[in-house]
Amino acid sequence: MYRIRFHGRGGQGMKTAGRILGTAFFNEGYEVQDAPRYGAERRGAPIFSYVRADKKPIDERGIITNPDLIIVADDSLVNIPAAGVMQGLNEHAVLLINSRETAETWQNRLGTKINIIVLPVNSSVPNPAEMPFIGAACVGAAARLLGVVGQSALVDAIHEELQDQGPDIIKANCDRALEAFEYMALYENCVQQRQAASALDYQQPEWIRPVFEKARIAAPTIHAGLTSVQVKTGLWRTLCPIIEYDRCNRCWWICSSACPHNAINVDGSTPVIDYDHCVGCMVCVAQCPPHAISAIPEAEADSEIKKSMQQLAH
Amino acid sequence: MNDTHFKRMKDLPSTHLLGTGTPMCAGCGGLQAINDIYDILGEKTVFINAAGCMTLLSVYPFTPFRGSWLYTAMASAPAGAQGVRDALDILLEKKKIGQEENLTAVVLTGDGSAYGMGLSATSAAIDRNLDFIYICYDNEGYGNTGQQYSSATPHGARTSTSSGSMGYPGFKKDLFSIWAAHKPTYVATVIGAEPLDLARKIEKAAQLKGPRFIITLSPCPTGWGFDPQETMQIGKLAVKSGVWPLKEYIDGKIIHTKVPKIRMSVEDYLATQFRFAHLFKPERNTRLIDEIQGRVDEYWDHVS
Ligand SMILES: Cc1ncc(C[n+]2csc(CCOP(=O)(O)OP(=O)(O)O)c2C)c(N)n1
Ligand code: SF4
Ligand SMILES: [Mg+2]
Repeated sequence: MYRIRFHGRGGQGMKTAGRILGTAFFNEGYEVQDAPRYGAERRGAPIFSYVRADKKPIDERGIITNPDLIIVADDSLVNIPAAGVMQGLNEHAVLLINSRETAETWQNRLGTKINIIVLPVNSSVPNPAEMPFIGAACVGAAARLLGVVGQSALVDAIHEELQDQGPDIIKANCDRALEAFEYMALYENCVQQRQAASALDYQQPEWIRPVFEKARIAAPTIHAGLTSVQVKTGLWRTLCPIIEYDRCNRCWWICSSACPHNAINVDGSTPVIDYDHCVGCMVCVAQCPPHAISAIPEAEADSEIKKSMQQLAH
Repeated sequence: MNDTHFKRMKDLPSTHLLGTGTPMCAGCGGLQAINDIYDILGEKTVFINAAGCMTLLSVYPFTPFRGSWLYTAMASAPAGAQGVRDALDILLEKKKIGQEENLTAVVLTGDGSAYGMGLSATSAAIDRNLDFIYICYDNEGYGNTGQQYSSATPHGARTSTSSGSMGYPGFKKDLFSIWAAHKPTYVATVIGAEPLDLARKIEKAAQLKGPRFIITLSPCPTGWGFDPQETMQIGKLAVKSGVWPLKEYIDGKIIHTKVPKIRMSVEDYLATQFRFAHLFKPERNTRLIDEIQGRVDEYWDHVS
């Protein structure tokens, strides 16, 4: 059985990518399970998609914790614990990552010798996370790594899953998928399937038995206001706004009221971005009259934030 | 409007009341408007919310509000508001709480509720002259469940349930007129992209009593198909092209608060969003574009 886990962010098309790969497997005569997983969060939040495929009926259920292939559409997810990219990463697994960095860099960074394959980011794209049709590229690359999903099964699956998107979008997705398929020729068939889990190997988890308090009424009441600030939605950001204070006119009422997420505070008359909660929509960048706010890919943002904060201190 | 506190952009609040960390999409035009509205309504509010995207603002144990929040079924937010108002009135009457502890009941729903499922409950609440404020953030579809069409969806727009080459065959319901026909205290349309106009209207609504209604057009990057950073531009285009008239109903009269001097063509607005892409590609659907323009022109022909 093949177990494939996709990691991406809401809006990057991972749900569709999982479906396309599932359908492509199906077109090759496999039994397939595919399911996305996401919470109440929206665009930018980490999401997962799971595909299982086997020539025999699949009895396994639920999320995939022991993947044969992990696909990461956005390398900024690796640092986010909630994204669970590393979950169940074993020597057997292959990690396909969309990145500007090399496989070696990733191996060193993660302290692992596992097989890491880089799907290179097109250098003309300013924000790697916004690479167009990234889901299709991931599926095309995955098909080649698996070695059992051919080009025509792949193309048919894209047509089937995107049928209401119109011919232009279908074509662009096919092109991206086939380009990635081609690119991965060197790594064909490097993902190996493993036996389906046997019920005999099942280990019961250690259940925790909660102790109930005596209560007359129980309801999920929130007793304090403003608790949402504890959620660090800044982690969803793929692009980071940086204020260049030398150019800032201090017209705070523009950026601060425009920010949909309330992530621009006003200190005196100086706008200060709350990076814990800026989700990276770039509305401020579009609104700032003197163009004092620029958009930097998140991976390069740390030093720019520091510079901006130093400017502010002066 | 000389009695307003909000004379220029600088008068807008510089501290914001709504908490950060909510799970709304990046660039959500609905959240932007709610932020601005909450700043002016203030902390002494109870929000009564019908299922929709904004339900996710308060997901246990997190809330961005400083006060209370009640969740209702899609059709029943105004009925929920009645319960809250009654409870507060009883507590006031019995002197269990003082006037300073009184709160404003604020209904918050999407267009799916406001234009559709909840319309009957709203009509009944106006009949009872319920003292409340209703805020509808209108993203022109059932956003939370994947942007199916609602009765607020504009003619020709592609949604997940109107994906053919002609888009949505129906027409956006004129909820402003339906509400105004009930002769409530106040009805207004606003948009986050025009924060000063919005602030003045919310300020006015807050000072009145009785049933008060606000519809805010809410550019929705996810449902409409545009880059999150364009939320403001698209909102401004909706106003400048005359697609979203900014107006208010008060004392039996309708006043347009921002009449575009030179109306831009609706095409400039439509072309910014993927939900209208089929009007331009593979070939231009001139008939449909002209039809949409014609309806907007007809509306403004009747505005004196
Ligand atoms: C009676 C009922 N039907 C369906 C649903 C499922 N549902 C939850 S949110 C939603 C969409 C609501 O659309 P809208 O009011 O426009 O709000 P939006 O999601 O766009 O913010 C639906 C259909 C529900 N909660 N209750
Ligand atoms: S789907 Fe649209 S309305 Fe809903 S949270 Fe996202 S941007 Fe806002
Ligand atoms: Mg809606």
